[in-house]
Amino acid sequence: MIRIILRQFTVLALTLFVLTVLAFSLAFWFPGNAITNASGVLVTDIHYQAVATARAFDKNIISQYLAYMAHFFAFDWGVSLQDGASVWQEFKLRFPATLELSLLAMALALLLGPPLGILAAMHHNKPIDQIITFFSLSGYSIPVFWMAQLSILIFAVALGWVPIAGQVNPLFDIPLVSGSILVDIWLAEQPYRGIALLNALQHMILPVIVLATVPLVLLIRLTRNACVDVLRLNFVKGAYARGLSTPEVLFKHVIPNTMQEVTLHISTAFSLLITNTLIIEMIFSWPGLGRWLVRSIYERDYPVIQGVLLLLASLILLVNVATTIFHAWRFPRVRRELNAT
Amino acid sequence: MQPNDLYYEERNPSPLQQAWLDFYAKPLARASLYTLCFLLFIALFGSWLAPFGANEQFSELLSLPPAWSNHGDLRFLLGTDSLGRDMLSRILHGARFTFGLPLLMVCMAALLGISAGVMVAMNVGVASSAVKHLLGVLFSIPSLLLALIIIAVIGPGLPNAALAIGLVFVPQFLLTTRNAIVEELGKDYVIASQLNGVSSRYLFVAVILPNIVKPLVTQFTLAFSAAILDIAALGFLGLGAQAPVPEWGAMLALSVEFAYNTPWVMALPGLALFITLISVNVMGETLRSTLQARMEH
Repeated sequence: MIRIILRQFTVLALTLFVLTVLAFSLAFWFPGNAITNASGVLVTDIHYQAVATARAFDKNIISQYLAYMAHFFAFDWGVSLQDGASVWQEFKLRFPATLELSLLAMALALLLGPPLGILAAMHHNKPIDQIITFFSLSGYSIPVFWMAQLSILIFAVALGWVPIAGQVNPLFDIPLVSGSILVDIWLAEQPYRGIALLNALQHMILPVIVLATVPLVLLIRLTRNACVDVLRLNFVKGAYARGLSTPEVLFKHVIPNTMQEVTLHISTAFSLLITNTLIIEMIFSWPGLGRWLVRSIYERDYPVIQGVLLLLASLILLVNVATTIFHAWRFPRVRRELNAT
Repeated sequence: MQPNDLYYEERNPSPLQQAWLDFYAKPLARASLYTLCFLLFIALFGSWLAPFGANEQFSELLSLPPAWSNHGDLRFLLGTDSLGRDMLSRILHGARFTFGLPLLMVCMAALLGISAGVMVAMNVGVASSAVKHLLGVLFSIPSLLLALIIIAVIGPGLPNAALAIGLVFVPQFLLTTRNAIVEELGKDYVIASQLNGVSSRYLFVAVILPNIVKPLVTQFTLAFSAAILDIAALGFLGLGAQAPVPEWGAMLALSVEFAYNTPWVMALPGLALFITLISVNVMGETLRSTLQARMEH
C-alpha cells in the first residue's frame, strides 16, 4: 500500500511539474509581452522594471521558471489586465463558489447513480432497465447548455418555481466573506438568515441538478454494465446455492464487486463535471471559476487564464490521484495489478 | 447460400455483414444509422437544399412561428428568428459546421494519432515510456478544457476552435492505439507469427490490426461525439463560431435573450444537436457490442 501511495505521489509530482512548466510557458505563447502576460503589469507601468527583475527576466529561462514558482507559492499571481485586481484575491472568492456547486452536484450524482444502475442491472432487459437505459442514453446525449436553457425556460420562466439565475437575492445583502454562498449566509449576522438560506437553496436547485446530470448518467451506465457482468459470475450463483437471500447476495457480494469497477471512474465523472461547470456558470450567472475563465478568454486577460487553467487542471489531477489511492486502499485485489505496471 | 445444403454448416458472416445484421436487428440502431447518413448528406449538400441563404433577412417577417402554428407562413417551415432569418435554412447550413467539421477533424486526428501510436508501439523503448507518462497527463484533462487552452493561445474563432479540437484528440488516439498494440504484442499468436519470421509491417497489418479494431472504433465514436459536443459548446460560449455563422451552438447562444418569446429559435438547433448526438452514441454502442460479440465468438 505504501509503495502504491509513493508511486502515485511521484506521478502526481511529475505531472504537476509538467503542468507548471506548461502554465509558465503559456506566458510566452500568448501574444504580446511575456512579462505583462505573466504579471499583468504593463510596459508603461513604473513598476515594470522591478517586476521584470523580480521575475528574473534578465536571467536564463530556468531562473525565470524558479521565479515563477516562487511567485506562485507566495500567492503573488499577478494582477488582472482588465481591472487590476489581484488574481489570488479574486480566486479566493470564486473558487469556493465553484467548489460548492460541483461538490453538491457530485454528491447528488453519487447518491443516485450507483443505486439506479444496480436497479437496472437487477432487472436486466426488463422494462425498468429499458426505461433507465433510455434516460441515461438521452441524458448522455443532451447538450448540457441546451438542457440548462430548457430547464430555465420551463421551471423558472414558465412555472416560476425557482429563480432564473444568480446565487441569492441581492436584497439580502450578504457580505462576501468566503465566496461560498451557504457559508457566507451562515457567517452573516442577520435576522433573516433562515429565509436567505432558503432563497440561496432555491437558486441552487436548478444548476446543481443540470450539472449533476452528466456524471449521473455516466455512473448509471458504468454501474449497470459492471453489475451485469458481476451477476454473471459463478460466485453469485454459489451464494444463491448456499441459500442466501437476494438482499444478502446483493449487499455482501454483488455491490462491493460492482463498486470496485465503478470507483475507478469517479475521477472521469468529476473531470466531466468540471468542464460542465464552465458552461453552467455562464448560463446561471454563477460567480465561479468557470465564468471567470471564459470571460478572461474573451477579454484576453492572460494572468487570469494562466492561473485558472493551472488550478482547474491540478484539481482534476488531484481528484484523479485521490481516486486511484482510494481504489487501491479499499480494494486490495487491484494493488497487485498496480504494482505490476 | 444454396437452399439444399446437405450438411449443416456454420456460417460466419464477415465483419461488415455482421455489423449490418446487428444494425438490421435493432430498430433504434437502424434509425440512428439512417439519421447519420441523412446528416452526412445534409452536411455535404445542405447549402444547396436550403430554400434561403443562411444570413438572408426578411425584415417584414421577424420572429415568425413555425408553419404549423396559426401565425406561421408555409414559406418558412420552421419559422424565422429575431432577425428574420429562416430557421430551416440556418439549420441546414449549420450541419456543415456542427456535424461535418467535427467529423473531418476527428478523422484527421485519428489518422495522425493512430499512425503515431503505431510507430510508438512497434518501436518499444525508452521513448515509448516517456511518451506514455507525458500523455497520461494530457489524457486526464478533459478535451474541452484542453481546447480552451489552445484557444486562449491562438484566439477565438471557428477555424481556431476546429484546429483546437482536432489537436486535442490526437494524443487520445495515440494513447489508445499504443496501449492496444502493446497489450496484443504479449499474446501468444503474435509471438508465434514473430517466430515465423514475418516482417514488422506484415505483423502489424495482417496480425495485430484486425484484433485492435474494437478499441479504435470505440475511441473513434467517443471522440466524434465529444468533438460535436465540444464544437457546439465552444460556439455557445462565443469562443468558437462567431455570431452570423449558423453553427448550432452559436445559434443557441443567440437565442438566450429571445427564448421566452420565441421558444422555437432555442428548441430547434438544440433538438438537431440532441438527435445528432444520440445517433452517434447509439451507433457507437451498437458497433461496440457487435465487435465485442465477434471477439468472444
